[in-house]
Amino acid sequence: MFLLYEYDIFWAFLIISSAIPILAFLISGVLTLIRKDPEKLSSYESGIEPMGDAWLQFRIRYYMFALVFVVFYVEMVFLYPWAMSFDVLGVLVFIEAFIFVLILIVGSVYAWRKGALEWS
Amino acid sequence: MDLPGPIHDFLLVFLGSGLILGGLGVVLLTNPIYSTFSLGLVLVCISLFYILSNSHFVVAAQLLIYVGAINVVILFAVMFINGSEYYKDFNLLTIGMALLRWFVQIIWTTRSNQIIEQDLISNSQQIGIHLATDFFLPFEFISIILLVALIGAIAVARQ
Repeated sequence: MFLLYEYDIFWAFLIISSAIPILAFLISGVLTLIRKDPEKLSSYESGIEPMGDAWLQFRIRYYMFALVFVVFYVEMVFLYPWAMSFDVLGVLVFIEAFIFVLILIVGSVYAWRKGALEWS
Repeated sequence: MDLPGPIHDFLLVFLGSGLILGGLGVVLLTNPIYSTFSLGLVLVCISLFYILSNSHFVVAAQLLIYVGAINVVILFAVMFINGSEYYKDFNLLTIGMALLRWFVQIIWTTRSNQIIEQDLISNSQQIGIHLATDFFLPFEFISIILLVALIGAIAVARQ
């Protein structure tokens, strides 16, 4: 129950863009000689023996960035249908969307001043 | 404009099997980060199911919100778990194959008989118009909810 014919180009693009990396890996896998020895399989650590675990401790600042990202991402998803119907809506709706963005700018300024966006 | 039958069936089987595999992966994988990625697969399959209902904006919105926002937040929450505390052994549970086949049969034989007409304005434009006129006040309240969520989460995470 869907209108497939509108999406011909999309499906063609999707199939081709999925096929290209698969093809690239297959061809290089067939053409090269893969030999596994223990030295090759160990991870690189500037020439010395690898010590400790590869996973670092997770710091809170990574989470702060993800949080701010998610809130503004959801805001963007709400702005998308407004943008799609912008030409048939009037000036009043433009003001409404402006208020929407303004309230979220207040949030962004709060995040900035409270140091949620500090990287160092 | 009726549905091309084989394409509907193919998408159904493909997404359904992806969904089931992803669900099994979420539950049975030992590393919680692998489970989170498997959850991402489940959410992608769910969102692609909406193609079969001719609602393309919902596909995009589900992908953006669920995979892009919710799954990312879940992933970051899972990152706080220490690596040494994972569940080590892999229990392969027995799955009721008859139950599975029954579900697949139900979904397979359920399809509507309607003839689809194409609207003059697309789905996302209709949603935009309704959001800006009928639901203008909820639209503004959404911004306040997002603001409250942002401030609350930053206040909690700073401690």
